[in-house]
Amino acid sequence: MEMIHVEEISTSALRSRQISSIHHLRQISFTPKRSKKSEVIYKFTQQNLHACKLSLTPQLVISLFLLMGIIFVPIGFVALHASRSVVEIVNRYDTECMPDEFKSNKVAYIQDISVSKNCTLAIKIPKFMKAPIHIYYQLDNYYQNHRRYVKSRNDKQLQYGLHYIQTSSCMPEEYSNGYPIVPCGLVAWSMFNDTYSFVRHGAPLFINRKNISWKSDRDHKFGEKIFPFNFQNGTLIGGKTLDPTIPLSEQEDLMVWMRASALPSFRKIYGRIEDDLDADEVVFVNIGNNYNTYTFGGKKKLVLSTSNMLLGGKNDFLGLSYITTGFSCIFLAVFFALLHVKNQRPDHDTSHFSWTRKNTIS
Amino acid sequence: MSRAWDRFRQSGSMFGFSTGRGRSGGDVELLGRGSSTHTVRLGRVQPQAPTHRTIYCNDRDSNLPVRFKGNSISTTKYNVLTFLPKGLFEQFRRVANLYFLMISILSTTPISPVHPITNVVPLSLVLFVSLVKEAFEDWKRLLNDRVINNTPVDVLQNEKWESIPWRKLQVGDIIKVRQDGFFPADLLFLASTNPDGICYIETSNLDGETNLKIRKALERTWDYLLPEKAAEFKGEIECEQPNNSLYTFTGNLLIQNQTLPLSPNQLLLRGCSLRNTEYIVGSVIFTGHETKVMMNAMNVPSKRSTLERKLDKLILTLFGVLFFMCVIGAIGSGIFINVNETYLALNGRVEQQFNPNNRFVVAILTMFTLLTLYSTIIPISLYVSIEMIKFIQSTQFINKDLHMYHIETDTPALARTSNLNEELGQVEYIFSDKTGTLTRNLMEFFKCSIDGEMYGTGVTEIERGAATRDGLNIAETKPSSTAIHEKGFNFDDPKIMRGAWRNEHNPSACKEFFRCLAICHTVLPEGDLSPEKIIYQAASPDEAALVTAAKNFGFFFYRRTPTMIMVRESHIEKMGKIQDISYEILNVLEFNSTRKRQSVICRYPNGRLVLYCKGADTVIYERLVDGNHNIKRVTREHLEQFGSSGLRTLCLAYKELSNELYGSWNEKFIQAKSSLRDREKKLDEVAELIENELILIGCTAIEDKLQEGVPSCIETLSRAGIKIWMLTGDKMETAINIAYACNLINNSMKQFTISSETNAIRAIEDRGDQVEIARYVRDSVKHDLERCLQEAERSQKDIPRTKMALIIDGKCLMFALESNLRGKLLRLSLDCNSVVCCRVSPLQKAQVTSLVKKGAKKITLSIGDGANDVSMIQAAHVGVGISGLEGMQAVMASDFSIAQFCFLSDLLLVHGRWAYLRLCKVITYFFYKNLTFTLTQFWFTFQTGFSGQRFYDDWFQSLFNVIFTALPVIILGLFDKDVSASLSKRYPELYLEGIKNMFFKWRVVGVWAFFSVYQSLIFYYFTSAASTNGLNSSGKIFGLWDVSTMAFTCVVVTANVRLLMECNSVTRWHYVSVGGSILSWFVFIFIYSGIMTTFDRQENIYFVIYVLMSTLYFYLTLLLVPIVALLGDFTYKGLQRWFSPYDFQIVQEIHRHEQDYSRRNELLEVTNHLTPDEARSYAISQLPRERSKHTGFAFDSPGYESFFASQHGIFAPHKAWDVARRASTRTNITNS
Repeated sequence: MEMIHVEEISTSALRSRQISSIHHLRQISFTPKRSKKSEVIYKFTQQNLHACKLSLTPQLVISLFLLMGIIFVPIGFVALHASRSVVEIVNRYDTECMPDEFKSNKVAYIQDISVSKNCTLAIKIPKFMKAPIHIYYQLDNYYQNHRRYVKSRNDKQLQYGLHYIQTSSCMPEEYSNGYPIVPCGLVAWSMFNDTYSFVRHGAPLFINRKNISWKSDRDHKFGEKIFPFNFQNGTLIGGKTLDPTIPLSEQEDLMVWMRASALPSFRKIYGRIEDDLDADEVVFVNIGNNYNTYTFGGKKKLVLSTSNMLLGGKNDFLGLSYITTGFSCIFLAVFFALLHVKNQRPDHDTSHFSWTRKNTIS
Repeated sequence: MSRAWDRFRQSGSMFGFSTGRGRSGGDVELLGRGSSTHTVRLGRVQPQAPTHRTIYCNDRDSNLPVRFKGNSISTTKYNVLTFLPKGLFEQFRRVANLYFLMISILSTTPISPVHPITNVVPLSLVLFVSLVKEAFEDWKRLLNDRVINNTPVDVLQNEKWESIPWRKLQVGDIIKVRQDGFFPADLLFLASTNPDGICYIETSNLDGETNLKIRKALERTWDYLLPEKAAEFKGEIECEQPNNSLYTFTGNLLIQNQTLPLSPNQLLLRGCSLRNTEYIVGSVIFTGHETKVMMNAMNVPSKRSTLERKLDKLILTLFGVLFFMCVIGAIGSGIFINVNETYLALNGRVEQQFNPNNRFVVAILTMFTLLTLYSTIIPISLYVSIEMIKFIQSTQFINKDLHMYHIETDTPALARTSNLNEELGQVEYIFSDKTGTLTRNLMEFFKCSIDGEMYGTGVTEIERGAATRDGLNIAETKPSSTAIHEKGFNFDDPKIMRGAWRNEHNPSACKEFFRCLAICHTVLPEGDLSPEKIIYQAASPDEAALVTAAKNFGFFFYRRTPTMIMVRESHIEKMGKIQDISYEILNVLEFNSTRKRQSVICRYPNGRLVLYCKGADTVIYERLVDGNHNIKRVTREHLEQFGSSGLRTLCLAYKELSNELYGSWNEKFIQAKSSLRDREKKLDEVAELIENELILIGCTAIEDKLQEGVPSCIETLSRAGIKIWMLTGDKMETAINIAYACNLINNSMKQFTISSETNAIRAIEDRGDQVEIARYVRDSVKHDLERCLQEAERSQKDIPRTKMALIIDGKCLMFALESNLRGKLLRLSLDCNSVVCCRVSPLQKAQVTSLVKKGAKKITLSIGDGANDVSMIQAAHVGVGISGLEGMQAVMASDFSIAQFCFLSDLLLVHGRWAYLRLCKVITYFFYKNLTFTLTQFWFTFQTGFSGQRFYDDWFQSLFNVIFTALPVIILGLFDKDVSASLSKRYPELYLEGIKNMFFKWRVVGVWAFFSVYQSLIFYYFTSAASTNGLNSSGKIFGLWDVSTMAFTCVVVTANVRLLMECNSVTRWHYVSVGGSILSWFVFIFIYSGIMTTFDRQENIYFVIYVLMSTLYFYLTLLLVPIVALLGDFTYKGLQRWFSPYDFQIVQEIHRHEQDYSRRNELLEVTNHLTPDEARSYAISQLPRERSKHTGFAFDSPGYESFFASQHGIFAPHKAWDVARRASTRTNITNS
């Protein structure tokens, strides 16, 4: 409060300012010609801005539902059709490739270097598969999105290599034998190292393993002159070893692997078969079953899938949800329409006011 | 701007505080046990230092050793150095900010899943906005201070007046202050240009009083006026140390070995201004911060709205939910963590947080991790947004609303605080003052009844209101040629105006009637003696109105001497003839509240002796001569009709006296008059002897002019479910009468009256034993309360419910408010539709207010205009001051000020309702938005092994609240309108939704919460499920960051569209803000994912959006997810509207096809086909005719209010007439 006389000065000033603004407003409101700006101010302060009323009237609700239904159902069918046109073969092989004697002790099997990890699967192609046929490996119950895992990498190092010193984020795979590891971190360290090769009619099928990573990764994120250095030299080997002579920008497997998955069950692309596969053909897959998922009960699957232009792989989810949503909308539209017909609330009916209702009850 | 008001507020409230104190003293006195001294003090009176200060006037060197403080002041909160620490400290006193500070600190530790940016950015943005606001306000304060400190003042230096800035003023300086100037410091008044050493000051800055006050200098110092003379002044002032008691001052002036005592009369306080005096000379005593005004600076805790307090509960609940979520996650993490997850390498070097060997530690640490991750559940920008919305609402909407702008006085409405806008939408009880608030304190002669014939064609507002209720519209009739409307007279009837009364059936009765009006009064004429210019000074405006009426009927009272009354009578013998007649006034038997009548005995020039008497119908009827029952009956009917029209009635009667009778009576009268003991009582007894066997002439009806539109406003408000209580210092009759006039009470109501004016109580009072009086009154109040309560409860069961009204007077209220009866009083009064409390003190007003506020937990609003309303205004949830003609105290203590009572309907039904509605939406929307966003993270936690991995990128999370969803909600808070302003007033019942708090119930919050759980599930699971299995023809798969970007896009789009769904009216700004927010997200993500930064961070989002947008998946998902997410809300809203529509929705439907009229073109009233005259007569005939007790007698006893107030230490302004009357009496005496 203090200085009261100041108040007088300031309040009278304030008051006159306010009054003048009110005068201003009055002028605006009464004079026919007014500037656009003052008109806006007038409408703003009088809370009289032009507005369209949004009220969910039955007609609006019904027509909106109908409209959504009409749009969604066709989209759903197209999407479902696209998804259904994809031929997808899923083979779980982590148990198949287990020699019987190790069935009771899977961990011992995978950790025993002396035991051959090779195994062959025969896959019968159910339908004609048009090239390119994507080869995915799928891991279940594998938490690539675990916090310790996700943060254990260093994008700067991938880009600048040893020039970049700070690797603390790569805990616990940052140093080995006193040298920094490139690429450091758990993600790279635990890289998937199963191998697949395909044989058809006795002849090997060519698998194109180029261009399976994102172009932006190749061009910008993984350095052209960065070579895997001191990788997988620690006491424990996590997964695949990388050829130290190939720069990271060409290690596409690594790039694919390093793109952490959102869910604990995920697919990653391995390569592409660029030949068509006919129906009833049998393809043999030689699998190097090296990757240890046995300790934590993870499943390994091999997936062969064609793709279509619309949605890529097989994914019924979008199509089905579009169809479901569309039909529910139509159902709701009908429901509301019935309600509307049966029990219309007349316009200008004041009997529904809470206060009139209360009076009639009492 | 708000700053200036803040100051006002403080000073105002400090005054109110003291009034409270003063009152409590007064109440004790009512019981007769109090002490006799009551000083009004402002604020806390600080303990005085034992020492005193000695000031050597006009001698700077001698004062130097004492180091008095300088006169410069600083009101700023901060300076350059303290701004940051102090400002930040202020900010972190808010719990939400402190919480985010803690979260920010947590997020710098390794246990945090998010980069510190996530929490620091929003927090710093919020702090930045708040600090900028603080700095701006403080800057304005600084500028203000500078202006003040540099104001020039004339100081005596070297026998000359030198102009120096205020800040350089020192204690002991002799200064000169000119007319209309402000005193720069507390001064000792030495001399003035006025001859008798007085000066006039205005203290409106201190206490709001605009009337002038007189200060008088000591006679010894009168001469020190001119600089040469003043330079000789060498005085020594010994006075008290600086303190904050405004009205006390003690000290001595030592001058030429003489000690002169100083009193407050010689003290001129800083902040006051000089009026009507050319200049004064004074010596500085207290300077700068030591002046009394400055020492009164006191911080008043600001009111918080009920809604905000409920919001705190919601936030608390959110904390609970947060804690719950964290606990679940923590338990999960403890269970999940396992050495076998080889890819996590948990058997080597591992942080404590993931150490499987110590699962308990894992759980605890994860708990903190999740706390940081889920911190977004508490909406950080909520408080800032609400503040901004409210600020704009109050400064732009309320202050500038033309519907609340009073053209005559040029006063706009003013929201003095922006905290309480939404509180206006929930008011259930209004406590209103009477005089100045409901009424204009303007009495007008309106109707009369002479010899059983009713005259006067006017229609009162209450009649008009009753007619409108019956569906009739009484148009304003054009005043006829005979109509005269001047102050105190608003009457028209060609039958008796301009001498036409001579043709009435009983002209002699008319003559007696007019003479009674002209002679029987205590009015003093003043000013020019012509009928047009004469001013009547009367003890009550009623009397003045009656004399004015006589003047207009042709009986012009123009002069009074102690023994004579002179009346210029027209049309007596012949039309147009004028003659001056002097009546000798023999005795005046004055009015008082027990007699309720007033008589004058006069002698005509021809020797005729007549007693004229006017008074309440009850006392006059008791004293009428037998016979002539017809006139008595008809007149009584008229009285009742006047009463129910809200008019104040008086009965007129006369009696012829014989000389002998008068002579013997006069002896007794003189005896009584000269008696020393019980004179009043004896006079009353003597008067009884002659005031009997009166002949009834007729009655008058005076309209206590209500403020514009009061009855209709009250009716609208009561339809809106608001209960209006009238708390007034007036007498019971006046109060009841106004209650009738305002529609607060009508004849169909059951009335409970608890009064101390009963014969039994009066008898006890006459015995004078205070203890017994108290005991007796307490018992009778208790008995009355119980009886009324029983009756009320019985009639509660009636169908239809009888409306009830309670009328209680101050003395009874004092006992009823005691703790043992308080509950009963509350129960009774809550059952009643209206309550009238009369003769209540300001403190009781506040007590009643807080009884309802605290006892019934209802939202209260007090409205008043005077100093006696301050305590009530401050006690209520919302205080409204009438900013009008007199005084600013009520306004200074109020939260809102309006010029007219009837603007309340706009303030409450339009602004209050909208503000409430908007704020509810803003809060619930914030709640929904943050809960949904956080829950998507929560669902993700389950699929990350409870590790606390974040789903979104840091920047997404930090900008979500402050950029991507910030603006639309503010637009909603400003512009949303469910129904237009005119419809809000046409359907006042809509206001009930606010009273019942329909939009911020736990049920409403629950619905929002339900749908945010639903939506978050959709967001998370739909986007992740749709993103598996190869996404474009090249078969590449999306990873975590791609899915999360997709999900976040859906959240932003949905949250913004959801807001649009919540709007009732959509302006261009809605589109701009909603569209802009969504656009800002895309702009942001395009830039953000297009660049690589050189900072040490993970480039998770690099190129993500470009890849996403190259797939069809993106578009399909973006179409699907928001629609599926909103489908639930949409269906719910449709069903809700269908099956249990809110009232406003029905109104919307009814008026769906109408143009939204601009507020100036109010909706046309439904008209009827009757001519105005027909309608009016019909309306009048429809008025309640049942027998009622109410005849509308009301007559103010002289100066009651100010008298009452001043007795108990409250400074109430003397009414103008009071002062003027005293003045004119004096001149009259000198004249005669």
